[in-house]
Amino acid sequence: MYDSMIKNQFGFVLFSVLFAAINVSAAKPSQAVKKQTPAGAIPPIENLTFADMPYDVGGTALLKWDVRPTDNPDVMYQIYVSSLETGGWIKADEFPADTRTGKDIELPFWAWNASVKEHVVKVELPNYFGEARTTGPVFNFKVVTIKDKKSFDSGIVSGKTASNWFRLDRLNNLLLLVTIITVFFWAVSHAKRKGLFIRRIAGLDAIDEALGRATEMGKPVYYVPGIGGMSGISTIASTFILGEVSKKVAQYDTQIKVPHYDPIVMTVCKEVVKQSFLEAGRPDSYRDDINQFISQDQFSYAASVDGMISREKPAAIFFMGYFMAESLLLAEVGATSGAIQIAGTDQESQLPFFFTACDYTLIGEELYAAGAYLSKEPMLMSALKVQDFGKLVVMVSVFFGIILVAVGARLHWDPFVQVILNLFGAY
Amino acid sequence: MKLIKKYIPLAIVFTFGVLTLASYYVPHKVSVDYTELVSQWENIVYAFAFLLGLISLFYSHYNKIARKADGWGYSIFVFVGFLAMVIPAYISGGKQGSETGITLLGWSFRYIYNALSSTMFAVLAFYIVSTAYRSFRIKSKQAFVLFVAAFILILGKVPLGQIIWDSVLGWTKCGVSDVIEWIMSVPAVAGKRGIMIGISIGAIVTSFKIIFGIEKQYLGKD
Repeated sequence: MYDSMIKNQFGFVLFSVLFAAINVSAAKPSQAVKKQTPAGAIPPIENLTFADMPYDVGGTALLKWDVRPTDNPDVMYQIYVSSLETGGWIKADEFPADTRTGKDIELPFWAWNASVKEHVVKVELPNYFGEARTTGPVFNFKVVTIKDKKSFDSGIVSGKTASNWFRLDRLNNLLLLVTIITVFFWAVSHAKRKGLFIRRIAGLDAIDEALGRATEMGKPVYYVPGIGGMSGISTIASTFILGEVSKKVAQYDTQIKVPHYDPIVMTVCKEVVKQSFLEAGRPDSYRDDINQFISQDQFSYAASVDGMISREKPAAIFFMGYFMAESLLLAEVGATSGAIQIAGTDQESQLPFFFTACDYTLIGEELYAAGAYLSKEPMLMSALKVQDFGKLVVMVSVFFGIILVAVGARLHWDPFVQVILNLFGAY
Repeated sequence: MKLIKKYIPLAIVFTFGVLTLASYYVPHKVSVDYTELVSQWENIVYAFAFLLGLISLFYSHYNKIARKADGWGYSIFVFVGFLAMVIPAYISGGKQGSETGITLLGWSFRYIYNALSSTMFAVLAFYIVSTAYRSFRIKSKQAFVLFVAAFILILGKVPLGQIIWDSVLGWTKCGVSDVIEWIMSVPAVAGKRGIMIGISIGAIVTSFKIIFGIEKQYLGKD
């Protein structure tokens, strides 16, 4: 009876140990199986593991293993990948053994442990198996060490990649976004209680002058919204300005023409102009041909608008929106025709052309502010304060960033410098 | 009516704005598929809008011809140009080249479209000269700084200018190419970055104004 109890207990313990051992090996399927190495050869690769690349759409595998004392430029590593249970190896990468550590992965300190004590290699599976097959199935990996024309295989690790739900590496960006949204809502709610001072923008103050001139001369006003699509912020800002300009045009009972490059922009601008004429109490003055589609080709558009400007000699021309090489073609012809010209774009490469050829130029952010400035609506104007807040944040960051990085570099505080650079980095 | 003209469009803008913003922080396949889907929808809307644009173009120029408005003769070329590209495209099945050489569409592209486009681009060179002349008129201190910077750049880009610089200022041991490099990489980049920072912040705030329905002028007002 007692013997049978001992036997039963022994059997239970043995079963438990075996079960635990099976569990441990099942819990770590990506751990490489160690192989016996002949004496005198390169020590085996230790702790080779598979991991899914974090914060990505999937399809990228990470292989990690410990850096060995024998790692030097004469030793090479080759990475092999296979989608089959046995064989079918494809060479994915090859590099000297003294390269590719955790530090080479470009992720910030809060999202990645940049250790120099382990090799980390990214394997982009879509490059070998196509986009569709890379998330879901299990892939096998092995590392081959090559020294003096001899190769040593590591064990095989397996795993599958997955799509991730959050870019932790963009946490700094998200925090900044949340801060700006908070300030944005604070500024907008603040606007209801108090008026805010906005500095004068000469280019926008000159709009009345330009429209008055057009009315006196009995000549049309041209409003050129550029060659951007409706998804461009500068084009959206341009439609806001068009709304205010066309309202004044309707009040002065003068003519406006809006030649278009993009048909969607034309459709939106039609609505904007129609609404402005309605608000000005002059719906009868609105005509469908105020907004006219010209061409979807950059230089055809420029040639056509130049022709119209040369023939009709408008009194005022507005260039507001996204412009590229056609900016000078348009502005120079406008200047030659004697029109008063007001331009605004967020393309810094085109600003010099507008500066020289136009009477007034709105620089980038002034273009975005123009709609609010002209409409005088408190909520829109208060949103401009958020732009000022953003600039303040940038100025303070640049000032202290320069000091901290300079001091850190001078005193050789590399980790400290890395932290500062990570905080302001984009990933 | 207000629901259809105001609240539903604002809800659509808010929903798609927030989803698109979120897709920047969500790398999942769902997010990637969403971005692709929206892009496809944009193309579909674009195709219909292009048709509207074409109708607007023809309508406007047809009216000019019918009313014999000033410069109506130019409007004929809109139709001529359109047919000169569309008919060959139809005949050639949309292909510019074939085994025997270029097709009729290829010919139209090479000898009509490309020729006109290149001519227009070439005009830019002359406009740059007249613009440069205008910008070199020194009316203020800022204009003087601009003139000096531009003059050094022009001087350094031509061999004769380099010879003049070396003979007059060679004793300073500072070559004109060094000065140009400094101008382009220090003051020019500083100014450019300042503008770019302002533009980026302005773009962010404008996006918020649209997403959160603060700016809704494009929908019309109540």
